[in-house]
Amino acid sequence: MKMEDVSLSSMDNSKMEGFAQDILSDLVEDACLGLCFEVHRAVKQGYFFLDDTDQESMKDFEIVDQPGVDIFGQVYNQWKNKECVCPNCSRSIAASRFAPHLEKCLGMGRNSSRIASRRIASGNNTNKSESDQEDNDDVNDNDWSYGAEKKAKKRKSDKNPNSPRRSKSMKHKND
Amino acid sequence: MRAAINQKLIEMGERERLKELLRAKLIECGWRDQLKALCKEVIKEKGIENVTVEDLVAGVTPKGRALVPDSVKKELLQRIRAFLSQHST
Repeated sequence: MKMEDVSLSSMDNSKMEGFAQDILSDLVEDACLGLCFEVHRAVKQGYFFLDDTDQESMKDFEIVDQPGVDIFGQVYNQWKNKECVCPNCSRSIAASRFAPHLEKCLGMGRNSSRIASRRIASGNNTNKSESDQEDNDDVNDNDWSYGAEKKAKKRKSDKNPNSPRRSKSMKHKND
Repeated sequence: MRAAINQKLIEMGERERLKELLRAKLIECGWRDQLKALCKEVIKEKGIENVTVEDLVAGVTPKGRALVPDSVKKELLQRIRAFLSQHST
């Protein structure tokens, strides 16, 4: 044992280095072989070339890098300044305002019912404002029947005409 | 003497760890993809039906050795040397 110790510790650096290099060599060779086996299996099993596409399709879908266009080549602020015609009230609305306008106009969406019921509640205080609201009420008919709901809403709003919680209770009623 | 150290390397699981480390580093630095591209060339040359493991190994291994980046080599060597100096007594 001691003899071996002596020879081991006197194993000079260059030999140690050579040994280390050999070990590294073996490891690299293992890695290469491993890769070759994997590739060979993939080729024989038929899945090696699966992620390749032909040159033509590659060109069709190449990433676009021009100003004013997104990576698919589409112009993305094309609709900023366009105007749309509302199918309900036939007004011409700017594109970015179109969705909120539709919400109010059709009486659907989260805010429209709140606003509508608030208007009705305030409309009950004065007759004049109620007749003005009629248009919107008619529009809201799409969602619920006119007579019964109006009566029910009227009663509820009589209870708390000035309470700050008015809109919230209205909202629950409609749900 | 070398054989003894080699045996220790394997028995203590260090060789396996080194293998994994090397594998991870080689994937990270893109070596694996480079070699895959080389394999593709060999396959196109020999034809899918006829290509053998030997073809791939012969065609790809020499370049594979040369393509390992120096940083990866350095790191692995460091670990190997550390192991050797730790366990050669």
